[in-house]
Amino acid sequence: MTATPLVELRGIYKRFPPDVRANEDVSMAVAPGEILAVLGENGAGKSTLMQILYGVYRRDAGEILVDGVPVEFANPGDAIRHGIGMIHQEFMLVRSFSVAENVAMGTAPLKGEKFDVRAVAADLTALAQKFGLGVDPAAIVEHLPVGVQQRVEILKLLYREARLLILDEPTAVLTPQEVAGLFDVLRALKAAGKSIIIVTHKLREVMDISDRVTVLRDGRNVGTRITAETDEPLLARLMVGRDVLLRADKQPTPRGRSRLSVADLSVAGHDGELRVRGLSLDVHGGEILGVAGVDGNGQSELVEALFGLRPVVSGQVALDGEDVTRLSPAARRTAHMAYLPADRRNVGSVGDLSITDNAVLGAQRTFARFGGRWRDRRAAAAHASALIARFGIRAPGPDFPAGKLSGGNLQKLVLGREVARDPGVLVVEQPTRGLDVGAIETVWAELLAQRAQGRAILLISAELEEILNLADRIAVIFDGRIVGTVAGAGADVAALGLMMAGRPVAQYGAA
Amino acid sequence: MILRLERRLAPASSPRAIFFANAAAIVAALVVGGLLFLPFHVSPLTAYADLVGEAFFTARGFGYTVTEAAPLILVGLGTVFAWRSGFAYLGFQGALLVGAVVSTWLALQIGASLPFALFLPLALALSFAAGGAWSGLVGFARARLGGTEVLVSLMMNYVAALLVQYLVTGPMRADGDLPQSALLPRSTWLPIILDGTRANIGIFVALVAAVIVGLVLRGSVVGYELIVTGLSPRAARFGGIDVSGRTLLSSVVCGGLGALAGPVEVLGNQHRLLDGVGEGLGFVGIVAALLGKLTVVGTVIASVLYGGLTVGGNAMQRHSGLPSSVILVIEALIVLLVLASDLLRSWRIVFVVRQAA
Repeated sequence: MTATPLVELRGIYKRFPPDVRANEDVSMAVAPGEILAVLGENGAGKSTLMQILYGVYRRDAGEILVDGVPVEFANPGDAIRHGIGMIHQEFMLVRSFSVAENVAMGTAPLKGEKFDVRAVAADLTALAQKFGLGVDPAAIVEHLPVGVQQRVEILKLLYREARLLILDEPTAVLTPQEVAGLFDVLRALKAAGKSIIIVTHKLREVMDISDRVTVLRDGRNVGTRITAETDEPLLARLMVGRDVLLRADKQPTPRGRSRLSVADLSVAGHDGELRVRGLSLDVHGGEILGVAGVDGNGQSELVEALFGLRPVVSGQVALDGEDVTRLSPAARRTAHMAYLPADRRNVGSVGDLSITDNAVLGAQRTFARFGGRWRDRRAAAAHASALIARFGIRAPGPDFPAGKLSGGNLQKLVLGREVARDPGVLVVEQPTRGLDVGAIETVWAELLAQRAQGRAILLISAELEEILNLADRIAVIFDGRIVGTVAGAGADVAALGLMMAGRPVAQYGAA
Repeated sequence: MILRLERRLAPASSPRAIFFANAAAIVAALVVGGLLFLPFHVSPLTAYADLVGEAFFTARGFGYTVTEAAPLILVGLGTVFAWRSGFAYLGFQGALLVGAVVSTWLALQIGASLPFALFLPLALALSFAAGGAWSGLVGFARARLGGTEVLVSLMMNYVAALLVQYLVTGPMRADGDLPQSALLPRSTWLPIILDGTRANIGIFVALVAAVIVGLVLRGSVVGYELIVTGLSPRAARFGGIDVSGRTLLSSVVCGGLGALAGPVEVLGNQHRLLDGVGEGLGFVGIVAALLGKLTVVGTVIASVLYGGLTVGGNAMQRHSGLPSSVILVIEALIVLLVLASDLLRSWRIVFVVRQAA
């Protein structure tokens, strides 16, 4: 590199006592007007590195240079003053404030006792126009879609004259169209000379948007490549350290009879507002019905109602033709329904209890003697050991606290426990959220194995890639309704994206 | 050189770490408390030797210690049962008084005509039932109506205290100058287990209850469901556990356990009902359970230590003329520092030597 990089990290070390080496000798640089992707699995040290760059953590060793000059950041304020801004996964916005007020807060000069919001709004309009951001400074943040809120965060950084924007997993909450829109904005920023670091574990995005990519594995920089000179398999191998094929091996399976049938179901959210509005669907044995949609369109309320965790306002849920709408979760378990909740740490398991105690959750009366009254610890421990062995859960033993398992290993435990009960219907919610590639492979393979055994699987996922790989049919949920159902094979991503944004598309393919 | 707290990556949770953290906290409390002796020209070492010697190494003193400990254990067990299942009950003082009233009434009515072997189980069962109903009201309010058990149970302590006041000044008042009930028939007094001491079978009642509570929480399916409910109500519902039913059960049992401290105190110590009976035991028992980290064994140990501290503190005061408030300060220091010692399980103290710039 000939020109001076805008920001350079040299030999960064960060250790969390007693024995986690989050970053070891990581060096990287980002040039003016460059989009750099930082790629790595969960736990590879991406976040730690960015937090060090943003002044949240202190490095143990190494150097940070801005414009070739060594700098010390005691806190994010220092980083911002050097033109470095960061957008976290959770937006830092006051929801009841307008866009301009959010931007003014903490940055704009005070006019008397108040911010000069009008002046800020004028600046924002200019900025938004310059970069094609399309944000109304007067709009109240909570009325804005997620994709636009993200633009507000970007505007905030631009207003603070950030020269380097760090985006941490920016696409996790967006529809495909919103992702495309975000990338257009990023390209405009780049054309205006801004530098961007995008932290991600999605290979497709790296290829789409970045100029160069730095791959982290186990806290080390295992390679920096010019994006145009590499490809997805190469990057995947760098990231994981071995060959991976994120393509599920799906065998054709005969479709059985209808096992789970939902008719005209309406469910209210915590605030009493309807979140599911007259939704109907059918899941057959030997098939995976994928429910695609952006988070927050009634998916959680739907699955909670299906499992009896949330009362139904109207409509019917039937298992094998039997009405179960009013049954308790325990009764639904007895009726061979199983559920893999999205929140595996707080709903699917109890972190303070051992793997053994978690392995019997929901079946505590089965692993018991004296008519289900006294716990049979030996049987429970044997069951836990069997799950550990069968699903390759990495743990010191069945007495190990479940809360100390990694996300992937915990998910294997919860999924293993649910399928071990031989369910007829399996409801699966966001099964691979936050998991690394290896664990995703295991979970996908197990879901397909369950499908091959004739189980009816309802897969709710915000990851389109997951749905496309696993589902036999895809139903798209928007605002509590199914806006369309298409065949999984050969589904058109653009059409799905439009439906996820609420635009019904003429149905095509088998439904 | 400066001291700095550094976060441990994982909390130290081995039994050894917990033991050392607690032991260090108690030693620190005794050292700090010892400073309070100096203005009185008393050597902390002699004073502490008096304390420990009296409370644990004389038959008479140890008898007092276990007598002090028994009601604390029972209230502590109620706390363990309730709090482990997510029911933050604070009404043990009230439950204790309800048990005291019921057992006093029973002893005065039919105590003289029943053999003790029949009377005691009956008195305990009735006290348990009455205390359970008392606390179950709070559980019902929470499980069915969504009330907060903390406030309701605290307020009900006043109701119980006023109820006792009413009874000993009105319907149950015995002739005489003091507002108190008649002396209970001698046949209903808890028998002494060590000649020449005050130790009565109340401690056995407490220990049997401890064994039962320990077995239920560890071994039974209901105990498992209670603990899951306490740790994560959402996971419990997901696991098919009837969360509000379990909350109700927990609320009944915890008050029943706390109410057992009533007969132990009335039949074992006071031998009559009087205003202010068992004062404070319903709260000190909660503290003992917290010091015992909400485990059955820990609660028993903490209760005995706490009882010993009270007994030994009195002896220390007699021998060295220290005001009794000193021992209260030490007790409070122990509670504070033991609870604070949890911090050391998640954080470590590091000594940082400032580097030359």
